[in-house]
Amino acid sequence: MNAKFSAKCVALIAAGAMSMSLAACSGGSMDDSSSSNGSAANSDTITLGSVTTNSGTAAAYGEAEVAGFKLAVDEINAKGGINGKKVKLESMDDKGDATEASNAFNKLAGDNSVLGVVGPTISSTTAAVAPLADQSKLPAIAPAATSDSIETGGYMFRTCFKDSYQGEIAAKFAAETLKVKKVAVLYGTGDPYSSGVGKAFAAAAKKAGLDVVAEENSSSADDTEYSSQLQKIQAAGAEFLYAPYYYSVAGPYIIPQARSVGYKGYVMGPDGYDGLKMTDDKSLYNKVLYTTHYSPDDTSNAKVQDFIKSYKKANKNADPNTFTALGYDSVYMMKQAIEKAGKNATRESVRNAIAGMSFEGVTGNFTLDKKGSPKKSVIVLELKDGKPQYKTTIQPSK
Amino acid sequence: MGNQIIMFISQIFNGLKIGSVYSLVALGYTMVYGIIRLINFAHGDFIMVGSYVLMLTIPAIVAFGLPAWVAVIPAILMCVAVGVIVERAAYKPVREKGNSMTALITAIAMSLLLENGSQAIFGADYQTVPTIIQIPTLSIGKLKIDGATIITIVLGVIIMVALQLFVTYTKQGKAMRAVSEDKEASILMGINVNSTITLTFAIGSGLAAVASLMYCVSYPQVSPMMGAMLGLKAFVAAVLGGIGSIPGAMVGGLVIGVVESLTKAYIGTITGGIITSAFSDAIVFGILIIVLLVKPSGLMGEPETEKV
Repeated sequence: MNAKFSAKCVALIAAGAMSMSLAACSGGSMDDSSSSNGSAANSDTITLGSVTTNSGTAAAYGEAEVAGFKLAVDEINAKGGINGKKVKLESMDDKGDATEASNAFNKLAGDNSVLGVVGPTISSTTAAVAPLADQSKLPAIAPAATSDSIETGGYMFRTCFKDSYQGEIAAKFAAETLKVKKVAVLYGTGDPYSSGVGKAFAAAAKKAGLDVVAEENSSSADDTEYSSQLQKIQAAGAEFLYAPYYYSVAGPYIIPQARSVGYKGYVMGPDGYDGLKMTDDKSLYNKVLYTTHYSPDDTSNAKVQDFIKSYKKANKNADPNTFTALGYDSVYMMKQAIEKAGKNATRESVRNAIAGMSFEGVTGNFTLDKKGSPKKSVIVLELKDGKPQYKTTIQPSK
Repeated sequence: MGNQIIMFISQIFNGLKIGSVYSLVALGYTMVYGIIRLINFAHGDFIMVGSYVLMLTIPAIVAFGLPAWVAVIPAILMCVAVGVIVERAAYKPVREKGNSMTALITAIAMSLLLENGSQAIFGADYQTVPTIIQIPTLSIGKLKIDGATIITIVLGVIIMVALQLFVTYTKQGKAMRAVSEDKEASILMGINVNSTITLTFAIGSGLAAVASLMYCVSYPQVSPMMGAMLGLKAFVAAVLGGIGSIPGAMVGGLVIGVVESLTKAYIGTITGGIITSAFSDAIVFGILIIVLLVKPSGLMGEPETEKV
């Protein structure tokens, strides 16, 4: 997630993360599942490193991811480990800082018992770690770093979809599920997230045969006034508007202003709409949709309910969030890769097992593409009286 | 063709919507600059303070059965208090010891202090302001005009006229003009310069609270950094209108708003997509540079005469 998007979810998931952070802190190094094995180079254990943001503004993400890692490791150990070996998790905090993340990763790379790393948490730290992973040939899976600019596919992979992928999926959803014909797009050129997703949508929409009647921009992704652009979009006869902005702009500004210039069609956005800030009149937000990684109401995926049950049992009935789910999947991806690499798994053989792997997880079923990002199913949520509700799951195009 | 004209008028009103808010903010800038020749860069942040007070007091005011806009009264009181404290604690000591450059830097420091201070108190996250007034949209045929825009413009004109009358006819207003003409001579004439300046700040800050009310009607969200860009745009408006001129601030704000809106609406078509609506901010700040080059005194300002 990029820095701005990071800041946003903090409040959103703070409540959930608070209970998690208590659990996480009390565990210290998170290796209580294998407390009998102190030595790092013990051949009876497999060590997984984790680099996450556990302090600073994005701490809530990192804590949620660690909770997901821990749950997955505990489950794996309860079922006899990987290839008969217990799994040990070596957790490091990068404080949301690229230098700290690099140092933490290098420390893990220097420890020969570490077979793979899960993390880092946010896009900026992941971008810093990606070249280090290639240099030290230590495979890493970032659970939630969505930025398009991260170099993946060497030794760095990710569990989440890339930002721009959401634009492609939204175009597919508009064409195939909503069956609209005339679409419009509005994005902030000054923001890589907004413009990256917006441009990807426009390209995919044209490819899908949709009529892109308006392609409008704003200077930045935190403007307050969009009526001029929205008026043009309305006049162009759009039935569907894709507006990739953050929750703090789409909620109070874009959607009410769109309704006020008379636009009655669909408004759709990416995961930046999570925790949308809404004005008092919730009726303005009907026909608003957004894509996300995970929904507890996802009925199409049996793994989701098992995951929630298992998490609640281990965490005093607290609800897991998206980051927990992505973290949980990341560890299981490592497990699948290490199992494939076999008893004598090395970092290189694990890397080769991750590349191009097919995986079935809580956040969807997917295959990693050549660039190390998944082509995966995406959840679409729709707002009903201001509350996000599970709408459908969009499967990736073949 | 008819649709094109309606579209054009709608776009003008879209511009007036944000422009009327710029006007209210610019009035505060120009008021302070006109008297003490200080560009109060913290003015945008006074709006932020006012907006937080609105957000926090509206639920209580509504619970008392009063209309929500009454919350502007605590907002004015708070902004005046903050304005006077900032003046007394930061600007006055600097004014007595330093020059206009040190005063300007102090203003920037105060702006950062207010932004980061409120971030420490309220957190960095955005918060929604409850609905203040439901103003119906005016429909004239196909043309839709936002009611808040009209109220903001009317309010701006009332404030502009009131300020102009105040400055021209009251004893305090005359004292303000005298201080702006010549501070030393005013002291000799028995004018209490410090209390006159404090009064100026109190009025300017009170205006910020009124501006925050109209801002929150149209854009119902607060965050610690909300005043920064708004303040800058309003500053450009004040310079365009002629900083120090009260009607100039009003005109400047509306012009900036309309320029912004028309840029967003038409520049792409006019330039064949080479310059897009994303350039609207660049064009607004381009105006600042052109005004400073061509007519530094602005549209309605008096030409600056060097005082010896």
